[in-house]
Amino acid sequence: MRVARYLLQRLAFVLPQLLGIVLVSFLLLKSIPGDPAVLMLGPTATPDAIAGLRAQMGLDKPLTSQFVLYVGHLLHGDLGTSWQTTRPVLDDLLQRFPATLELVTFSLILAIAVGLSLGTLSALRPHGWVARAVDLYGLAAGALPDFWFALVLIFVFYSAAHWAPAPLGRLDISVIAPATITGFLTIDTLLAGDLEAFRSAVAHLVLPVLTLGLINAGPIMKMTQSTMQKMLAADASRYEALCGIPERLVVRHALRNALPPIITIISVLYGYLIGGAVLVEIVFSWGGAGQYAVQGVLNSDIYPVLGFVLFSAVFSLVVYIIVDLVYVLLDPRLTH
Amino acid sequence: MGLNGRWRFFARSLAVRPRFAVGYGLVALAVLLGLFAPLIAPYSPIEANSRAFLQPPGPAHWFGTDSVGMDIFSRAIYAPRIDLTIAVLGTLLSACVGTTLGALVGFYSAGRGPRAWLCNSVMRAADVLQAFPVFVFAIALVAVLGQSIQTVVLAIAFVNMPIYLRLMRSQVQGIRSMRYVEAAQVAGVADHVILRRHIVPNAIAPVLAQLSVNVGWGILLTAALSFVGAGVRAPTPEWGSMIASGFQNVATGQWWPSLFPGLSLAVTVFGFSLVGASIEAFSDPVRRQDLAAAMERRAARSAGRQLVKAGI
Repeated sequence: MRVARYLLQRLAFVLPQLLGIVLVSFLLLKSIPGDPAVLMLGPTATPDAIAGLRAQMGLDKPLTSQFVLYVGHLLHGDLGTSWQTTRPVLDDLLQRFPATLELVTFSLILAIAVGLSLGTLSALRPHGWVARAVDLYGLAAGALPDFWFALVLIFVFYSAAHWAPAPLGRLDISVIAPATITGFLTIDTLLAGDLEAFRSAVAHLVLPVLTLGLINAGPIMKMTQSTMQKMLAADASRYEALCGIPERLVVRHALRNALPPIITIISVLYGYLIGGAVLVEIVFSWGGAGQYAVQGVLNSDIYPVLGFVLFSAVFSLVVYIIVDLVYVLLDPRLTH
Repeated sequence: MGLNGRWRFFARSLAVRPRFAVGYGLVALAVLLGLFAPLIAPYSPIEANSRAFLQPPGPAHWFGTDSVGMDIFSRAIYAPRIDLTIAVLGTLLSACVGTTLGALVGFYSAGRGPRAWLCNSVMRAADVLQAFPVFVFAIALVAVLGQSIQTVVLAIAFVNMPIYLRLMRSQVQGIRSMRYVEAAQVAGVADHVILRRHIVPNAIAPVLAQLSVNVGWGILLTAALSFVGAGVRAPTPEWGSMIASGFQNVATGQWWPSLFPGLSLAVTVFGFSLVGASIEAFSDPVRRQDLAAAMERRAARSAGRQLVKAGI
């Protein structure tokens, strides 16, 4: 009951925030020069045809009524149409968002694995060489441009060693995609029993996941290191060690207590990566949602960008709410 | 500590923490290259020698040439001019606006009057701005304002401003409840004088540490914008657009057009991160004590070694 009330309170804050995000993106994107009607009809269009299309799209109405119209459409699930793909934005995003989500989810799993383990190791021996190497790795990971690191990995593992497949999307050209159930190729190929497609999907995921995972492990690693150091120096851990409890159990208990700020960082990173994976998507021709939005901006196609901003904002808000619920489960003090 | 003492502390801390020295050295190198590029570069950065395209690194072209025949070493040396200028200007602009606004919001956000409501609205607006995917927002800004160096600076400033806003606000909120601020208020000192003389100098330390790291991020964002074609236009040498023009060549095995600009970029941003870490260490009293203790240990060790050499 308390949990349900907490959820309702959070949702009450969420709606005005969402409206604010949509309003700001709408105003910003409407300011981008470029007439969509002209762009859709091409250079040979007659002025009458352009005027007709503008009236049909509602472009000749004042901004406020355009915005009200847009919100009205949103409530019916209509995110507009992209003039580049000539398809409804909702369909385009539903096709592309799972690609980004799959990439970001696996990268985050790698980042969590690397960050938690290295952070814990460096917290155990604060002045050892592991801690110093981990510090340098954190600084280096924050300094590397992800699109450049992706190119380096492509060169080493594809051009030179010929281990990885060509960076041309999520599957080999010769492999047929399975029926879309979740949108995650790894899951869908397994559900369809198509092992060759599964292997191809995994092979194509290796390099982009390595790029995003290794670079974004930095913040998780640093937060783990600092919170674990505090936990291991706390009275509770020292008392456990004095009682003769083996080190790995002491570490496990300290890790459990150190989780809240680490989970915060992970949730922020998850939301950030949905938009932050754009450059890696471009390098690997991934066909993801971020790439779609960037092409929209560069071509004055505003509905894809609005749709993407909305999707990623909603996604971040959902992640934050789930994380808050996880906190309530983890930390019994919060329910009182 | 007087000014002399501060410089000596700084110099000795570089000896104790070599990574700080590396950071300052790298930043100094980048600044020097930006200033003296015309004197160091062997070729002009925009001169294309179409007969010598895609040459691997060699004695004539240390970093090789790209697909139109421009010398990559010269271009990589000229690039800091653009990248550093954009990043520093953007960061300074966002810091000035963000810290001013953050100090005001932090100072006046107490209570329930219209001023507190205004402060609350500013923070909610910052929430909305920060909910945007950073890169898409930056590209959209550049698209709205037109593609030029000035607009890239503005985009970087806009994207980073909420960081300084929040940082300064939380710092000021912590300091405004201190006794000396209360004493100044009781003595009748004007609000803006209190802010300028008492609050801001004590709140500024994390902002300074963030500045250096932010310049690094600004360089990365500029490179990313130029990589997708929304930043600095060709043929101006810029690390991101150089990586983009070498993009197709990587798959065919010519790694040098993309590798060297990216390496220079990463090394420069790394230097700025180290400088930011050093500023953080200098401004935190606990870590300053750790540094002082390390310096004393080092002095004791060298004194001990001299005694051993003297045969005692």
